[in-house]
Amino acid sequence: MIESDDIDELAGEYVLGTLDAGERASIAARRKREPNLDAAIRDWERRLAPLDADTRAVAPPADLFGRIARRIEATGEGAVTELAEVRRQLRRWRKIGIAASLVAATLVVTTGIREVVWQPMPQTYVAVFAKDDILPAFYMTFDLARRELTIRPVDAQRQPGKTYQLWIASEQLGPAPQSLGLMDDTMAPTTKVISQYDQGLLQRATFGVSLEPSGGSPTGAPTGPALHAKLLPLGK
Amino acid sequence: MITTLHHATGPMLSKPTELEILLSAVAAGDQAAFGMLYQATSAKLYGVALRILRRRDLADEVIQEAYVRIWNNAATFDSSRASPITWMVSITRNRALDEVRRASHLAIETTPEALDVADDAMLASERVELASDLARLRACLDDLEPDRREIVRLAYLDGLSREELGLRFGHPPGTIKTWLHRSLKQLKSCLTP
Repeated sequence: MIESDDIDELAGEYVLGTLDAGERASIAARRKREPNLDAAIRDWERRLAPLDADTRAVAPPADLFGRIARRIEATGEGAVTELAEVRRQLRRWRKIGIAASLVAATLVVTTGIREVVWQPMPQTYVAVFAKDDILPAFYMTFDLARRELTIRPVDAQRQPGKTYQLWIASEQLGPAPQSLGLMDDTMAPTTKVISQYDQGLLQRATFGVSLEPSGGSPTGAPTGPALHAKLLPLGK
Repeated sequence: MITTLHHATGPMLSKPTELEILLSAVAAGDQAAFGMLYQATSAKLYGVALRILRRRDLADEVIQEAYVRIWNNAATFDSSRASPITWMVSITRNRALDEVRRASHLAIETTPEALDVADDAMLASERVELASDLARLRACLDDLEPDRREIVRLAYLDGLSREELGLRFGHPPGTIKTWLHRSLKQLKSCLTP
């Protein structure tokens, strides 16, 4: 196994950082087309990563995040939500059986003393509706301050004669879910402002998406298969 | 037919860490999540870059490039292959090492700049995860001869090249290379169960 030893040696030295500039460039190019080299590099990154604990954290300049944000905006890639990528993420989460736990996961982020300035950072929440056999997955972002939600189907499919209806359920609202209206298009994001609910209720509520006949549920309650999710905070 | 919405529950096999959730939202183009990710990780990554580059202007540049890459490549992050912080540190180290090798005069000549040590904003859950791995790696490093252990640390943490290590330890770069290869082999077999 001389060859795999060589690959492991190269990968190890690449991760240690002792290769010269030319060798580094060559490895960086090769790993893109040699999966076993790429895997060996990742293995070494994982093995040596604990050493990072010995490096002290250092506050970056206060304006650095703004400079990063401007670079991203300049490349034009910042504005795009790439649904294929969300789909990939969801599929992976689902595969390892954690999608359902997302709705219960709480996000506690230790915030530093630095102020992040990109745009006024809204109190943003997300909810991920894991797909089932009939319904596609949905990804919802929610701006709590404006009480504005945007929901996107992840696996967009035409549903002839059907529509998706959004619901909210909360103990405060009683046993029956209330309709938040229909999605404008089964293939595209829909944005709705739901200012009739207070913020506390929204943070605890369960949201639902159900498949309904065109025009929406004839009964005022969900009649088709439905998915549920709660909001997960991403803002402070 | 489901006629009422119930509160979603499900098996909690493996809860994604906060950084995994943030990275996933970043992959979906969520700018707020990116800001949170930056807040949680930038002091760590900046420390890593500055230790290798020793100059703030270079670290500023490398960190900007690293976060642009993190933004663009968040969807390729694979939690089954690396923890988020390992993935982000690797992106940062690779950029910093490319830079320091490109301008190889920097590392020896430049004294490290005074460091304002920041609170390590990395998330507690990531630290816990790393603690046992660190103990294991330390034990394996302790099995190396002292010079060789120091060489591994200086290479990985401070970004020293074979030539710089050779000067410091009084050996030709070829000898350093041989030592590195043996040390890596020994470390790997020590770390492989």
